[in-house]
Amino acid sequence: MVGTEAYVVLSMVLFILGAMGVLLRRNAILVFMSVELMLNAANLALVAFARQWGASDGHLFVFFVITVAAAEVAVGLALIVAIFRTKKSIDIDELHQMEG
Amino acid sequence: MTEVNLFLLVGIISVVSAVMMLLSENAVHSALFLILIMVCIAFLFLMLNAPFLAMVQITVYAGAIMVLFLFVIMLLGAEKLGTRSTRLRWITPVAVFLSILFLITAGVAIGQGQVNLSAAPSAEPILRVAHFAPEVGNVDVYANGELIAASVEYRDSTDFVTLPPGEYNLALFNAGTQDALTASTVTLDSGFTGTAIAYGTDAVPLVVLESEDLSTVPERSGRVTVFNGFSGVPAISLVDFGSDYDLEDTQTIIAEIPQDTLSEPIIVKETTDLRSWALVEAGNVDNVLFRLSDPESYEIERDNSKFLIVSTEPQLDGTLRAQTVALDASTSASFGGPLAMGQALFTRYLLPMQMVALLLLVAMIGAIVLTHKPKEVSSIERRVLGRRKVSRPLTSVLSAQTGHDVYVPDTNGASEEALPEAVGEEEKV
Repeated sequence: MVGTEAYVVLSMVLFILGAMGVLLRRNAILVFMSVELMLNAANLALVAFARQWGASDGHLFVFFVITVAAAEVAVGLALIVAIFRTKKSIDIDELHQMEG
Repeated sequence: MTEVNLFLLVGIISVVSAVMMLLSENAVHSALFLILIMVCIAFLFLMLNAPFLAMVQITVYAGAIMVLFLFVIMLLGAEKLGTRSTRLRWITPVAVFLSILFLITAGVAIGQGQVNLSAAPSAEPILRVAHFAPEVGNVDVYANGELIAASVEYRDSTDFVTLPPGEYNLALFNAGTQDALTASTVTLDSGFTGTAIAYGTDAVPLVVLESEDLSTVPERSGRVTVFNGFSGVPAISLVDFGSDYDLEDTQTIIAEIPQDTLSEPIIVKETTDLRSWALVEAGNVDNVLFRLSDPESYEIERDNSKFLIVSTEPQLDGTLRAQTVALDASTSASFGGPLAMGQALFTRYLLPMQMVALLLLVAMIGAIVLTHKPKEVSSIERRVLGRRKVSRPLTSVLSAQTGHDVYVPDTNGASEEALPEAVGEEEKV
């Protein structure tokens, strides 16, 4: 059986890679996808600890995280489409003025 | 060993995919790498004994969410957008440095055993009380002076009661009265599930505490435990007489349960026919004490534990007869499966689930509102359109050209009134 630490380390690495994607990429859609990767890494740690503790609450949390992520993606991508329509760009450096 | 190799393989694939997702210039390629990561994580969920979440991960993440991403990327033509170098050039080395620092910190923490890997705190003990003393009427059950069950009938049991761990003075009273029949001290450890059985043919019943295994059973099966409280014979056995009650194919299911003891639990498939099962005197198959012939009471249900209590019932002629009652209890649902998830979602997590459902609804409406494009019509265009669409009445045009008011008798009302009459006349003809 693979230990919980191994899963935690893997989820940590994936989380870091997601965070670097958020910091380094300039494409808003890619930033968004990196956020999804971070959520997935957190899910992996939750499920690993759920097995460690023998409690199914971790699974429930992952279920809710997935549901909320679906809602978030729907709204976020709609925002990106709306921004692209007005600014003709989804480069986050050009969106820092916060104007319509 | 294979599991470790599998974990390493899937882990390496997911990390490499994450790096490729970060580095690839094309957003579509990034999305495809992210799908690969999602599938890898679903695989890890399977290895972590969470099959339901693995399926949800595949369908919701890899299916719905990533398709939405790809759709938006292709809709906007954003494959190559945002790849030029940023004005904040210093952010790249800082981000890499901080990431490595975090990895080292967390790695050292895990290496030193700072991750709390202790076992889960076990649940509070649950207890039920079964009344199998034929000489005693209905009883009230008190634990430390507190009533936990009132007026328990003979051959019946209370529901499971959850109590904090500790020592209890378990007392039985004649129902509705203050005269104690018997009292005994029991210790309930955390995680205990079991039954306190009051039995015996004396006026003062014996009370024993027997634990019952309510952990998860293999699929499509149930668990059977027998408690022998029959004092007529030294020991009893549970046997299967087979289809035609032939002594040749009699099988012993549980052998030699001595008096006042609990058998080992056995796992029985749910389709097993118990009508040929019987409790017999140990070593003497001919002395049948009780047949489990009633399919209503003794049918094996899946994820269910049957606690068979064999008690003594004195007859009028002084002989002792074995009496058996099955107490049912659900075993805990299998960990990580859809059943366990459903049970938790509709009991403890009902409110959060409703809130999440509401959130999804709001998100749906929000997405529609955000992407809704109002018709862009400038004020001048609107005036021109208005002029084209709404024709001015002929009278006002004529009056503007001639300079006089033009009077036209209004015939609309008259014609509308005349029409039904005309139709009516035609019908008459």
